[in-house]
Amino acid sequence: MAEKMMIQFDHVTKKFDGETILRDISFDIERGKFYTLLGPSGCGKTTILRLIAGFLEPTEGTLTFDGQLVNKIPPNKRQVNTVFQDYALFPHLNVFENVAFGLRINKLASKEIAPRVKEALHFVNLDGYQNREISDLSGGQKQRVAIARAIVNRPQVLLLDEPLSALDLKLRTAMQFELRQLQRRLGITFIFVTHDQEEALAMSDEIFVLNQGKIEQSGSPRSIYDEPINRFVADFIGESNIIPGKMPQDRVVSFAGKTFNCVDQGFNKNESVEVVIRPEDLELKQRGEGLLQVRVESQLFRGVHYEIIGKDEAGNSWMIHSTKSAKINDEIGLYFEPEAIHIMRHGESEEDFDRRLESYEGADHD
Amino acid sequence: MVKKRTWASIYLFCVFVVLYLPIFYLMFYSFNKAGTMTHFTGFTLDWYKEVFSDKRLIVIVIDTVIVALLSSVISTALGVVGALAVYSTKRRSAKNALLSLNNILMVSPDVIIGASFLILFTLIGIKLGFVSVLLAHIAFSVPIVVLMVLPKLQEMSPTFIDAARDLGARRRDVLLKVVLPFITPGIFAGFFMALTYSLDDFAVTFFVTGNGFSTLSVEIYSRARQGISMSVNALSTLIFLITLAIVLVYYFFSNGIGKAKSYSGGRRV
Ligand SMILES: Nc1ncnc2c1ncn2[C@@H]1O[C@H](COP(=O)(O)OP(=O)(O)O)[C@@H](O)[C@H]1O
Ligand SMILES: [Mg+2]
Repeated sequence: MAEKMMIQFDHVTKKFDGETILRDISFDIERGKFYTLLGPSGCGKTTILRLIAGFLEPTEGTLTFDGQLVNKIPPNKRQVNTVFQDYALFPHLNVFENVAFGLRINKLASKEIAPRVKEALHFVNLDGYQNREISDLSGGQKQRVAIARAIVNRPQVLLLDEPLSALDLKLRTAMQFELRQLQRRLGITFIFVTHDQEEALAMSDEIFVLNQGKIEQSGSPRSIYDEPINRFVADFIGESNIIPGKMPQDRVVSFAGKTFNCVDQGFNKNESVEVVIRPEDLELKQRGEGLLQVRVESQLFRGVHYEIIGKDEAGNSWMIHSTKSAKINDEIGLYFEPEAIHIMRHGESEEDFDRRLESYEGADHD
Repeated sequence: MVKKRTWASIYLFCVFVVLYLPIFYLMFYSFNKAGTMTHFTGFTLDWYKEVFSDKRLIVIVIDTVIVALLSSVISTALGVVGALAVYSTKRRSAKNALLSLNNILMVSPDVIIGASFLILFTLIGIKLGFVSVLLAHIAFSVPIVVLMVLPKLQEMSPTFIDAARDLGARRRDVLLKVVLPFITPGIFAGFFMALTYSLDDFAVTFFVTGNGFSTLSVEIYSRARQGISMSVNALSTLIFLITLAIVLVYYFFSNGIGKAKSYSGGRRV
């Protein structure tokens, strides 16, 4: 296990001019996985990358690589390479020399440099681009050169700071796929930064959701999407209906003036909670059928589905994603499975949250 | 529209005539047999022969060029270091103070700089002559180089330095392999500016020269005072042509660099 634990943040705090940017952050990065730091702009994602790369030093706490303290190790002595947000390709060097930069710095023989550069360019699908000038490349090509320049050094960890944000949608989707493939082929750790939740869900083995310098939740895309720990995560990762409710007993929740079966347990009797149901988990039914009755207020065609907003008798708004359309002002029924209901406890820590989920997910399998 | 443009060209033409007429007037009479600037009596190259047979003048030309080259090379080196120092100064107030000190030297009149150097050199006992002229030229060229190099540094994205460090470069490599190549156009511009400033400086040199050492501008001044000889015209013509050549070389240089590596300014302009 210790072998796999590569990077460790232990109670790391980072302050700039007395202002706390990262608060007491602890997490582990294992070898060979695709990690994503996800959060709104200004939450400290770049700061975490710069701590790992060595451009910044933690104000408090320790940062270790393979158990070695690296707080004060400069960036040129770390087995980590970065793909910068603005690419930072050297304009006075052509594609070959840009990619060869790290190898030349490390005094590799020129005999070895040429094949390594070729291989790296091949990895990013830029065969035959060696002699191009940087100024002649498109945004997507610059992006690839920046990745080639980083991976040619065979780092243990590749850091990518919002590398796709400057690309148009189509190219971005293609690059998401390619990056994921590249990570699998290289077998090294990628730490990817984005503020785009779809990108994070599509690419990652594990996501860290950040907010105001704190990790709100970490886990696989599936678990974060299905079981958000709090309102921030639920809102940030996809669309959700968040309704206030109560837990009269285990596996029973009441909201919108009714009680429903659910799969959550471990709450105090009649504890106030927040109930999350994803819009795509709500099924349209005829009036009078289903579990809830709502009046349709608005409807938008979104291409893949209709986005319907309705109001129930208790006054809660519901967003529904459905391939079927509805009529405005119609009364319709909504149906959802007990598994579609996710309960969030107010102010629960991530550890407690995980322990609670584990306790009854284990019980489910009996 | 067309009319506007013709008026603009006529205006431009007039400005250039006013600026260049005296120079061409002077050049024209350098070929005058009569040896005056009043009436042209016939073509001759005698004045040029006189210039080239004037041993003292040739020595002065060589001295002038040596001072210009030496002072611009040294001031370019110092100026680049200075610009890097200003660039890497983190504190805003310190940075502004450094820049202001630099700019004051740029705008203060030559006479004051010359006089203060004269006082300084006599105080610390440096003999007036080659060394004092060289030091003075270096001193007034450094701020020029700093001003030419600093904008290039500021144009450079700080992530270049991060990227180089990230790829394993030590501070020395960052400087040699990333920063210096990036600011090379600024360094060349600074060098050529320093060269021309040194070549045509009169006021500062006039104060700090002595001991038989002289530069062209000072020499021409003293000869012109003694009475006009057409050899001064011939010499001035030669200097004008050489300056023109330097400007052309500089033009091709900066254009060539801009084209070959069309980054930053190159593309956007
Ligand atoms: N060098 C710095 N000095 C002062 N404040 C900084 C510095 N770098 C980042 N910050 C501040 O830290 C916060 C987080 O920045 P950053 O990590 O870049 O966020 P993100 O990448 O998530 O958008 C921002 O409020 C930013 O202004
Ligand atoms: Mg950022």
